Amino acid sequence: MIILQTLGLILWLLAVPFCMGLLFFSVLEKQYRTPGVALIAGYIVLFAILELVGIPVVLLAVYNGFSIFKWIFTPALLLCAALGVFVAFKIKKRGQVRKFDTAFGWKAISTEEKIIFALFLVLVGFQMYMAFTRASFDGDDAYYGVQAVIAQQIDTLYRINPYTGRSAPLDVRHALALFPIWEAYVGSMSNVHATIVCHSIVPLVLIPLTYLLYFQIGKILLKKRRDMLPMFMVVIALWQMFGNVSIYTTETFFLTRTWQGKSFAGNFIIPAVLWIFLSLFGEENEGTGLKEDAAKGKDKTGKPGFWLLLACLNLAGGASSSLAILLSCLMTAGLAVLFTIRERKPVILFKACLSCVPGGLYVLLYLALTHGIIVL
Amino acid sequence: MFGIFMESLVIFKLYTGLKLLLGLTLAAWFYLLFREKDRNVRLLLVYAPIIVVLLFLFPVSRKVFVAAGLDGETYYRILWTIPMGVITCYGACKLFARHKRVGLVVTSALVILCGSYVYQSSYISKAENLYHIPDTVIKICDRISPEDSTARVLAVMPPELIHFVRQYDSRINMPYGREMLVERWDYYNAVYEAMEKPEVVDVEALLEATRAEYCRYIVMNSERKTDVNPENCGLVLIDEIDGYRIYEDPVTTEVVEQWQEYYEDK
Repeated sequence: MIILQTLGLILWLLAVPFCMGLLFFSVLEKQYRTPGVALIAGYIVLFAILELVGIPVVLLAVYNGFSIFKWIFTPALLLCAALGVFVAFKIKKRGQVRKFDTAFGWKAISTEEKIIFALFLVLVGFQMYMAFTRASFDGDDAYYGVQAVIAQQIDTLYRINPYTGRSAPLDVRHALALFPIWEAYVGSMSNVHATIVCHSIVPLVLIPLTYLLYFQIGKILLKKRRDMLPMFMVVIALWQMFGNVSIYTTETFFLTRTWQGKSFAGNFIIPAVLWIFLSLFGEENEGTGLKEDAAKGKDKTGKPGFWLLLACLNLAGGASSSLAILLSCLMTAGLAVLFTIRERKPVILFKACLSCVPGGLYVLLYLALTHGIIVL
Repeated sequence: MFGIFMESLVIFKLYTGLKLLLGLTLAAWFYLLFREKDRNVRLLLVYAPIIVVLLFLFPVSRKVFVAAGLDGETYYRILWTIPMGVITCYGACKLFARHKRVGLVVTSALVILCGSYVYQSSYISKAENLYHIPDTVIKICDRISPEDSTARVLAVMPPELIHFVRQYDSRINMPYGREMLVERWDYYNAVYEAMEKPEVVDVEALLEATRAEYCRYIVMNSERKTDVNPENCGLVLIDEIDGYRIYEDPVTTEVVEQWQEYYEDK
């Protein structure tokens, strides 16, 4: 039983998102076709699909909402994963995938860097160990955690008061943020109680996933000094562990409320916006620096893969909280304005606006629901 | 407007805790301001953060935030868009680029000394099980949980267990939950008034309230004082688990069973 449950968790938390991320290999440049980027992109797409599938179900299905959700969500995930594998095979045939070792760069770094990187892995391992063996009390779990348990045990979505168990009108303020429903889904598909998934399993995935994102950010920032990357990662890991200067910081949320959507917003969605903008405009990418591009006649605002990923991210944020989607869209717009002014290319702003369309629709729906314009 | 500005400033102070970690970020930010040559990085890690801080403190921003229907208490989350960790770590890497080992040791030491260790939080304890909720809650829930997977029961729980009960079993309903424990929400609940407000529980008054809500079980900390023995008022002590007494109310049980038979729930 435990073996089957473990295999189920690996399938739904690692294998499927990874394969889904491979879809983006068809639109990302070769240097980004790495396992880490595949997993990050996979989770972004997964949460975007979660919102696309989940929101109509939550709004329209009064009874058996969770069952209906599973019937639609599962084939959607599997289809994307299968397409991702297909895309990866096609690209591999053309020899356009980086070898794992090249992508990781393990052989290229010195022994000292390996030791520092090993120290980083120890710190991450320690955080995962603490996440698994330490219980962190948070009152919000009585709401978010219970929503996941209700979905799993009662088969309804956001139509029961989680505090008391009484039937209630649709909770429109939270109903569009489906992070707990994803946790219930993973638990349901793996035959594991939703609370165990939230408190013991999800942190084991989200903690490394966040560091994977920081690794990508570090790679771009330290493009000319890759030897500093292990130090960057060690200090980032320590920063997370010692960033508990108040109960409000993302660092506090990261290690004490890892399983909650708001933590995911602060520690994945928002840093992912930074990563995408660094990838879009970072000079690491050969042929994408302003002068080089101008010389080669390339458009710096290109990289459709990252704009597409940004559009998905701006919808995926909605899974964690309504505010997250607003913040990621505002970040996108704000950074796009800055880059537009600097590059003097309005097309950047245009593309950024397009990437905010899914998130914008979500915000409009949220406002319509919360202000009683749409009544269900 | 000045008042809103001051409120935002207080939120900023609360967010950063005004701890030395903020000083580290400021130092790194200033270093990057003067030494970072990559225009893209400058834009993302130097200019964008300061714009966010200014917008955050700008009173109109807060007004717009609240007017948009967002919870004013979450205004601090705008500060999440400032990558303080990345600014500090990247700044340190740039500063110590020629002295990696020293840089790693010094930066790590500064982060440790200036920060606050997250696992020291009083809210963190050793997990008793994979659910990360107290074993006692699991034992109590297993004791009162209905055998029929489609049925539900209503149970009054002591405040220290309230958060966890439905995280384990959502088929156990409660007449009140966490909403009654958050003082600023200021809700009213008759069962809560009878169960938690008096120093000594008036069992008759409690029963009147619980029967009106059809509560089948009453779980009480054994140290909780009652004016009379609850069993003298008709409650049946079915078990005592880890210092919690579980009483069943036969009157409510009978009423609920009649309902269930009537609606063929059973």
